[in-house]
Amino acid sequence: MTITVDGIYKGFNGFPALRGVNLTAARGEFVALLGPSGSGKTTLLRILAGLEFADGGRLRFDGQDVAAQGAGERNVGFVFQHYALFKHMTVAENVSFGLRVKPRDKRPVKAAIDLQVNELLRLVQLDRLGNRYPSQLSGGQRQRVALARALAIQPGVLLLDEPFGALDAKVRKELRRWLRRLHDDMQLTSIFVTHDQEEALELADRIAVMKDGRIEQIGTPAEVYHQPATAFVYEFMGNANRLRCRIDRGRAIVGSLILPAPEHPELRDAAGVAFVRPHDLIIGDARAEGLEARVRQIFVAGPAIRVELALLANGDMLEAEVPHGSPAGELIVPDKLVTLTMTKVRAFPDAVAA
Amino acid sequence: MAGGTTQPAAAAQVRRATTETALVRWILIVTGVLFIALVLVLPLISVFIEALRGGFATFFQSVTSKDTWQAVRLTLLVAGIAVPLNVMFGLAAAWAIAKFDFKGKSLLITLIDLPFSVSPVISGLIYVLLYGANGWFGPFLKEFDIKIIFNVTGLVLATIFVTFPFVARELIPLMQEQGRDEEEAAISLGASGLRTFWHVTLPNVAWGLLYGVLLCNARAMGEFGAVSVVSGHIRGLTNTMPLHVEILYNEYDFIGAFAVASLLAGLAIVTLVAKSLLEWRYGDRLAGGRKH
Repeated sequence: MTITVDGIYKGFNGFPALRGVNLTAARGEFVALLGPSGSGKTTLLRILAGLEFADGGRLRFDGQDVAAQGAGERNVGFVFQHYALFKHMTVAENVSFGLRVKPRDKRPVKAAIDLQVNELLRLVQLDRLGNRYPSQLSGGQRQRVALARALAIQPGVLLLDEPFGALDAKVRKELRRWLRRLHDDMQLTSIFVTHDQEEALELADRIAVMKDGRIEQIGTPAEVYHQPATAFVYEFMGNANRLRCRIDRGRAIVGSLILPAPEHPELRDAAGVAFVRPHDLIIGDARAEGLEARVRQIFVAGPAIRVELALLANGDMLEAEVPHGSPAGELIVPDKLVTLTMTKVRAFPDAVAA
Repeated sequence: MAGGTTQPAAAAQVRRATTETALVRWILIVTGVLFIALVLVLPLISVFIEALRGGFATFFQSVTSKDTWQAVRLTLLVAGIAVPLNVMFGLAAAWAIAKFDFKGKSLLITLIDLPFSVSPVISGLIYVLLYGANGWFGPFLKEFDIKIIFNVTGLVLATIFVTFPFVARELIPLMQEQGRDEEEAAISLGASGLRTFWHVTLPNVAWGLLYGVLLCNARAMGEFGAVSVVSGHIRGLTNTMPLHVEILYNEYDFIGAFAVASLLAGLAIVTLVAKSLLEWRYGDRLAGGRKH
C-alpha cells in the first residue's frame, strides 16, 4: 500500500505536535521516523493508524482519503511499544483476535483460523508456545507475538512504535535483522518509529528525521548520514564535533585549515559551524600544520581509542577516535600538545545551524 | 556430613539489609497480632458465642422467627437490586474516567467520592427531604400515589447512594494503571467498542470488579444509618437485618440480636470464602490479571 501524508497538522491543547508534515511511503518500502522524544514521530504514527486524528492535512492510502476512517477500517497492523498484548488471553488467542472479531460474513471458520494462527506462530518462531500466557514469555517473545497478532489481519501497512525499545541490546539486534527479512519476504509496507539512529540506519530504506513536529530531512540512510540537510540532522546521526568556521565560495575555513564545502558555492565569507565526526579527526605531531590542541582524557576500552582534546585557541572540547594500533597512538598521552587536521567536514552557515 | 550441616547455618546468618533485630521484630509482630485479635477476631467470635449463649434451640428459634426471615429477605432484595445497579454505574464511571478524556472529569471523581465523605444519616435525611411527605417532591409523588420513603424503594435508593463509590473506586486506579494500549490494539485489529469492552477491558479488571462487588455487597447488606432514616422501622415490611438487630437489642432480646448479627457476619464470611474459591479455581486463567 502507498501512503501519502500531505500537510498533516496536529495540536494537543494548543501545543503543536505536528506542523505540516509531508511524507510518502511507496509499496514495499520500510520507512523510519527518527527523532528525539517530543519530535512528533509517535503522533504521526498514531495518526497513520487512526488512533489519533489530524487537525489538518490529508492522509491517503493508495490514493484514497482515509482521514475520516477509524482505526478498525484502515486495515493497518500496529505494534505497540510495550506490546499491549491481551494479558488474559493465550498467545494463540492473542494472535487470532483480529480474525475472531471480524463480522460474521467475513470471519474465517474456526479450523481456518487455527491453521492461520499456527502458520503465523511458525513465522515468528513461537510454534510451541501457543498455549502460554503473555506473562510467561520473555520480552523478545512478546514482541514477536505482538507482530504475529498485527500480521494476522493481513494489513496493507505495518506500523511499529519503538519496536525494540524495551529489549536488551543483543535481542534487539537479532530481532532487527529478522524483522527486515520478514518485511522483505511478506512484501509489506512498513513504517517504524525510533529514537535510535543506528537502528534506523540499519533497518530502513528511507529515514525521515523529525524535529519539533516537522520533518527535517527524508532520504536513504546514506543520504541522511553523509549529506545531512541541517545541523540538527548531522548531530542526531552520530557523535559530532562543532568548530566555528567561515564559509567562503565552497570552502570552509577552520583556523588555519581550508576544507572543501562544495554544498555552499554561493556564500561569501559567511560565519558558520563546521561539523566533524570523531573518526574523521586526525591527530598529528605538534609541529605539523593544523589546529593546536591538548590531550585531556583517553578511553582505551572499546572498538577504538577515544580521545578528548581541548583546542588551544578557545578551549573547546573535541572528541577524536583513533583505531587501536594506529601510528598516531604514541602521540596520545595526557597533556601532550598535538595538532588536529581533518579530511571531511560538513559546514552550515549560522542561519541554518542555529 | 559436617559440610552439609554448616552450610544452612551459615546461610541463616546472612542478614538482609531490610531486617531488624530480633527484639524489634518480636515487638512489632506481637503488637500486630494483638491488634488483629482484639479488633477483628475477638468481636467476630463473640458475636457467635453470644448468639449461641442460650443453646442451639434458642438460636434457631430466633433466626427462624417470621420477623427475622422477613428482614433477611428484605436485606437480600435490597442488596440484590442495589449491587447490580452499582456494578453498572461503577463500571460505566470507571470506564469513562480511566479510558477517556473529557471536561469535568475531576468533578465527576469528586462526586463519586461524595457518599464516602457524607455521614450515612445525612444521606438518608436527604432522601427524606426530597421524597418524604413534606419533601420537595412530596406533593408530586402523592399525586401519583408513589411511595418512596418508608418503603422498599427508599431503602434501595439510600443503599445505592451509600454504596455507590465501592465499585468505581476499586476500578478507577486499576483501569488507569492499565492504560489504553490494549483497547487501542483491539480497536486497530478491527474490534468494535462494545466487543473491546467485553473481551479486553472487562477481563482485565475482573478481580478488581469482583472485589468491588463483594465490598459493595457487604456494605449494602450491612448499611444501617441511611437505611434507618428512610425505613420507618415497619416490622415485616421495611426492616432490614441491621435494623432488626437494633430493634431486638433495644427490646433486651440479646440472644435474638446476636443471632441475627451472626447471620450477617456469616453472610460476610461466605462472600469472602467465595472470593477465595474463585481466585483458587480461576487463578491461572487470569494469571496475567491483577489479584487482590
